[in-house]
Amino acid sequence: MIAAAKRLVTRGKSEGSDAKTAEWKVYLKRYWQLYVLLFLPMVYLLIFKYEPMKYVLIAFKKYSIVQNVWEMPWAGNNGMEYFIQAFHNRDFLNALKNTICLNLLDLIIGFPVPIIFALIINELRFKKFKKTIQTIAYMPHFLSWVIIYGLAIQLFTPSTGLINMVITNLGGQAVPFLNDPHKWVGTYIFLGIWQSFGWNSIIYLAAIAGISPELYEAASVDGAGRLRQMWHITLPGIKSTIVVLLIMALGNIIGSAFDRPFALQNNLVMQNAEVISTFVYKNGIKGLQFSLTTAVGLFQSVVGVIFLLTANWLSRKLGERGLF
Amino acid sequence: MKKRVVALVMACVVAFSMTGCGSSTSQAKGSETKEAAGAASSELVDGKFAETKHITVEVYDRGNDGGSDPTNNIYTEYIKKGMLEDHNVEVEFVEVPRWTETEEINNLLASGGAPDVCITYSYPTIQTYANMGGVLDLKPLVDQYGSELKNLNSWLGDTNIYWDLNDETGKLWAIEGKRANSRRILTFMRKDWLDQLGLKEPTNREEFYTAICAFRDNADKLLGKDADKMVPFSISYDVGWRAALLIESMMDPAITDKEFYINGFDDRKLTQNGTKEAMRLLNKWYNENLLWKDFALYTAGDSTEDDMMKAGYVGAFQHNWDYPFRNGEDSIQANLKRIVGEDAKYVAVDCFENSEGKNLKYVDSTAGDRKIFFPSTNDEPLASLLYLDWISEPEHIKYLQIGDEGVTHNVLDDGAIEVVAAQGDAIMNSGNNIDYTITCNGLNLADDDLTLLSMSHSYQPSDPDDVQQAIDYAAADNKVAKNVKVPEIIAENGMGEALASKRDIAYDTALVAKPEEFDKVWDDAITDYLNAGGQAIMDERKSAFEGKYGDSTSVE
Repeated sequence: MIAAAKRLVTRGKSEGSDAKTAEWKVYLKRYWQLYVLLFLPMVYLLIFKYEPMKYVLIAFKKYSIVQNVWEMPWAGNNGMEYFIQAFHNRDFLNALKNTICLNLLDLIIGFPVPIIFALIINELRFKKFKKTIQTIAYMPHFLSWVIIYGLAIQLFTPSTGLINMVITNLGGQAVPFLNDPHKWVGTYIFLGIWQSFGWNSIIYLAAIAGISPELYEAASVDGAGRLRQMWHITLPGIKSTIVVLLIMALGNIIGSAFDRPFALQNNLVMQNAEVISTFVYKNGIKGLQFSLTTAVGLFQSVVGVIFLLTANWLSRKLGERGLF
Repeated sequence: MKKRVVALVMACVVAFSMTGCGSSTSQAKGSETKEAAGAASSELVDGKFAETKHITVEVYDRGNDGGSDPTNNIYTEYIKKGMLEDHNVEVEFVEVPRWTETEEINNLLASGGAPDVCITYSYPTIQTYANMGGVLDLKPLVDQYGSELKNLNSWLGDTNIYWDLNDETGKLWAIEGKRANSRRILTFMRKDWLDQLGLKEPTNREEFYTAICAFRDNADKLLGKDADKMVPFSISYDVGWRAALLIESMMDPAITDKEFYINGFDDRKLTQNGTKEAMRLLNKWYNENLLWKDFALYTAGDSTEDDMMKAGYVGAFQHNWDYPFRNGEDSIQANLKRIVGEDAKYVAVDCFENSEGKNLKYVDSTAGDRKIFFPSTNDEPLASLLYLDWISEPEHIKYLQIGDEGVTHNVLDDGAIEVVAAQGDAIMNSGNNIDYTITCNGLNLADDDLTLLSMSHSYQPSDPDDVQQAIDYAAADNKVAKNVKVPEIIAENGMGEALASKRDIAYDTALVAKPEEFDKVWDDAITDYLNAGGQAIMDERKSAFEGKYGDSTSVE
């Protein structure tokens, strides 16, 4: 009897899979153009994002400029030599500390800014005024960091910067915005927020636009003022968007962009300004220590993925949708 | 449908295998041709290849405003034509940005696309490439083809050709280009300001200090409404270079070869015995508002400081001995005259005396400048060596340095050659085209008297008398560097950039420290430098020196 049942099950399965294949065929026949369209981006990803991943092996090998990655000899200590070296390298540990500190500050101070900005913009009544403000706020996003540093020099240098000239003409002392390690951190965070808050608010504005107007009508009928509406309708309405962006931001906590710190740093503030990406550039690309810096980069990516997964898991636990 | 999917997969596989194999096939090709090169000398008839060869040569792209194309101008054409006629070798120039040359060469080497003839200023970099198998050993090549390289041998001599020869391994990774002119660094001062304030050109450190203080205190008189832009003595982020004469003047003149060598990995003399005291003095000057406050915010290649000199805000500075005269009409001197007035000019002064009262200047020997190496992807070592030979021929050097009469130079009554500003393709992107005469740095017109006579005329429109003063001061009281022949120092491997960065941080932070914190800042920064690899290098240098010279502290 059991055997008969088994036979039944298998027949059912094979019939099912036959049906499925047939379904796929029809499906593909109908939509093949879409797959053709998908083909190029997929090839792009494979060639430029996946194929280069084999070079991750350099972290475990003794790099040679003339051998290909398979031929290079393995590094000592079962291939872990460069990881050990990295964690004995005070400069790397300092860069790691700076990366985390600067990113945390960015997150704590910088993350709420576009949300607040989106809430304010949403409350504006005059369409023209609103559009103008938005455009002005988006603009810095299109400036490269080298240009922003140029602006910063014009504004913040101790002797010729505009702001410092105003301060000294008013009888104050010039403030070393760019050449004191602590003040530099403030300038770094400020410039980062200034550059990106407008652009980052777009996604929140889109989410706000998706909230049903009936909710607002109902609330105002119930006597809720603007602040109450903001708190009880707008914010909960964009909560899931906030969570998704927060998860992505957490995944980046140990990652570091290159151009922002590199353009802004100088020798006087290096103790706070050297981050992992600039450390890798200096030691790896300029100093030819490719294995060491690949190890550092790999470490950075792995920790980043762990952060991302943890945050995602946590948000699902707390009843939000998460990224995946 | 299935077929289509299979076709797609196949296409992917093919694409992948092609990208994957790229590097390995080129490697294989490299080693084959190297063997083939051994038989090449027999191909040479009257110095000419029977079959046209093709080589690529690195050339710096300095990105000058209004310069000529570094890979295609009348000088590259001259070289290309000459090489094709004399040796049947086609030359192709590959431009590499001057200020990021190391990164660029790294990338080119790693991708197997480095030029056949490469140059760099850093020997440790070449050593690192060599350890990875990226550089050709030149010893067997020079031995085998020596007879074909008459110009190279007579111009460079054994000193420069074998300067980097490792006695133990017998390997020769690079040939040293020759410094035709060992002048190195000088101090310059605004002559018109000194005159206005009734001061004479300083001859010692004290007078120099008095002068820059006078500049500071009389900013209103000297600069009028721009008084707040006054910089009495300008130093950039590269303090070790831009205050080199001051730093070196504080060094013990009796320093032994051994001590000098042990501390010599850093060419900015960070750990030499007088540097701390020199920095203490500079720190004092900084805190007395004698230096440029914003110096650290402008990095390598930034022209802000030059622009300040051109605009007339800078009272004094130290730099290459011919710095204010370089670049013809765009030189600091020419701009200063245009912007500030007829009288405004910099003159060389010689005023940093050491404890013996001499204005000693540490200069390099004929070697120690640019190093030429062939990457292992070089398929044509003989053709490349012939290129070096051709470029070392005295007449060729002469032409590249002064160009055509009436276009880039005039012959004066006394026979001196006067370089004049050129137009279009004839513009030299580097002074005397040093970027093309890679085996020769400095004016060399095949005749020493003519060279010296012409040198002061090679910086039009600067006044030849001013240039002559710089020439004389820069050559006075020179101490020439010695070649310490020790095996490779392993600890130096790959540390150049990281330690140079530490060094600049040490110099910069100490310069701006509060006077009472100077000791702590300096000592912390030096400790950091030593811990980051500086100490290991010094220890290894010490034992290497003792291994070679025993108890002697001198290399003689």
